[in-house]
Amino acid sequence: MESLLLGFSVALQPDVLWYAFLGCLVGTVVGVLPGIGPLSGISILLPATFGLDTTKSVVMLAGIYYGSQYGGSTTSILMRIPGEASSVMTCIDGYAMAQKGRAGAALCIAAVGSWIAGTFGVVMLTLIAPPLAEFALRFGPPEYAALLVLGLILLAYMSSTSLVRTLVMACVGLLLGTIGIDNMTGHFRYSFDIAELGDGIGIVPVAVGLFGLGEILSTPSATVVRDVIAPRLRELLPNREEWRQSAMPIARGSVLGFLIGLTPGSAHIISSFLSYAVERRLSKHPEEFGRGAVAGVAGPESANNAASTGAFVPMLALGLPTGPITAVLLAALMIHGVSPGPTLVNEHPDVFWGFVASMYVGNLMLLALNLPLVGIFVNVLRVPYTYLYPLVVMFCIIGVYEVSHSVVDVWIMLIMGVVGYGLRKFGLDPAPLVLGLVISPILEMSLRQSLIMSNGNWTIFFQRPIALTLLVAAAAMLGLAVLSVQRERKDWRRRLAEAEASDSA
Amino acid sequence: MIVRTDHVVGGIFVVFGFLILGLSGDLPVGTLSFPGAGLMPKLLAGLLVLFGLALALHARRSEPLANLSWQDLPHAVQVAAITALAVAFYQSLGFALSMGLLLFALTFAVERRHPVSAAAFSAAVVALTYLLFTVALKTPVEQGPFGF
Repeated sequence: MESLLLGFSVALQPDVLWYAFLGCLVGTVVGVLPGIGPLSGISILLPATFGLDTTKSVVMLAGIYYGSQYGGSTTSILMRIPGEASSVMTCIDGYAMAQKGRAGAALCIAAVGSWIAGTFGVVMLTLIAPPLAEFALRFGPPEYAALLVLGLILLAYMSSTSLVRTLVMACVGLLLGTIGIDNMTGHFRYSFDIAELGDGIGIVPVAVGLFGLGEILSTPSATVVRDVIAPRLRELLPNREEWRQSAMPIARGSVLGFLIGLTPGSAHIISSFLSYAVERRLSKHPEEFGRGAVAGVAGPESANNAASTGAFVPMLALGLPTGPITAVLLAALMIHGVSPGPTLVNEHPDVFWGFVASMYVGNLMLLALNLPLVGIFVNVLRVPYTYLYPLVVMFCIIGVYEVSHSVVDVWIMLIMGVVGYGLRKFGLDPAPLVLGLVISPILEMSLRQSLIMSNGNWTIFFQRPIALTLLVAAAAMLGLAVLSVQRERKDWRRRLAEAEASDSA
Repeated sequence: MIVRTDHVVGGIFVVFGFLILGLSGDLPVGTLSFPGAGLMPKLLAGLLVLFGLALALHARRSEPLANLSWQDLPHAVQVAAITALAVAFYQSLGFALSMGLLLFALTFAVERRHPVSAAAFSAAVVALTYLLFTVALKTPVEQGPFGF
């Protein structure tokens, strides 16, 4: 409690409040605009935070992340275009509600659900992260290596594409992470006499290229047609029946989203899909789903917000990113000289608790921003895409260049943009690649340190209880995945996709 | 035989894996008690080849290559080429000129907007961004031959 009060004393300082507000505002705009995800938004604005202290910069960047989850629902409900990948499920019933004249109610339910779920997530983060960090202090190299292996397997298991496709992308990311000088022996690896590659490939150029530029290359301007349903302010309040129908889906979405947020992968996306499936399964009127069911908006919107908060638990407590967005946030911390991980709570309590407290405040700000100002945010959508995407391309270039003033990084971003276009074309998910790139140095170091400390005895991973438990969990997960592939059993994702296809047909 | 997307994807990863193995020739694998710089890359390259083969062998589940739509390719090539030119001249021309030309080229040449509106848009955006970075954020951008 004392620590949380310290956090509030930091978060309620006027300048920290200002940057939290700025992050929430930019995040909402990023979420509203289709084609610019939170990852691009955070990466592009990363250099702008270099002049700030660590707390302000992380508070602002995190605000962009959870703000985008709020903003993503606006375009989903009003235009049937997901502003953010995690808002895909909201399109179905949100837009159907808008067509019935209940756009305002849908927006209000999405915003209130997001606020409740976001606040629930922060409460859980407050309770879970510090003891988890204390537990993680017992981790040595074998435990970290086992944890990262489990993370990769879990990522593959939870992925929306196939197990092999996810693992192959993670392998490419891990390989990219080996570029540069080997920290243990000093060997140059794949640097091709380019001095800048000696330090390895940065997360920002890869993330901005794959998710920012790659998205733009895949979206021809001619295909972007915008038809906005503008809600009136007085129509924003849902009626009593709509509130009643949304209560339990919000509660379930919050719990489900937070739990999924703890796991690696695109948790905020998966959680919204899973929440939609759960709500439809539990509904007494499943036939209403797709035709404007309130639960189809309340559940997924709550789940994606809780998941985005849940993702901060492993990031802050263990120093491990569960996805590309938390990876970039970790990079931001490291740029400011703060090592994320179990020692963060004790060594930088002002950063940790200030960040946690700012999320309570940020969620309130977002509620205040998203309801009354929805009309203004809708106007952002009226900016023609033909003018919008050149702007994004420019910010991709400046954003990447300003990180280390290296034009090589900008070339890497451009190459990754083209790669991202190719990956989308062939249905490959770029997220495991970014995650692989981030964890590659930690995984390699942990693996090699484990072997050195055991004098080459690889059974060290099975002699230590925590590492053994983690590896057994990884093996079980892999076994389950292989079994399901062998039996060609259809999982919930495919069933859901098929159900959606048959509904739309 | 119908060539499917996973045949192509799997093939690319197999080739990429072998390429990495070829490039890693001089990197020592080391021993188990002291693993070398080549252990991890070679292990990963091997896995890449394995997964690539698995993808290609189970390609019948993926869609035929001929079904892929490439309608967006010309737009993508234009945007990528203009961006590449802007990157190539970014340091020599500086932020204002290179980004102004990038914006103008994308809005006028690619999007066929009126040249006057494209020029006005480019100039306004560059000026505002320049002010945002240099004045508001105090983050200097790349200077060109004219000092901006």
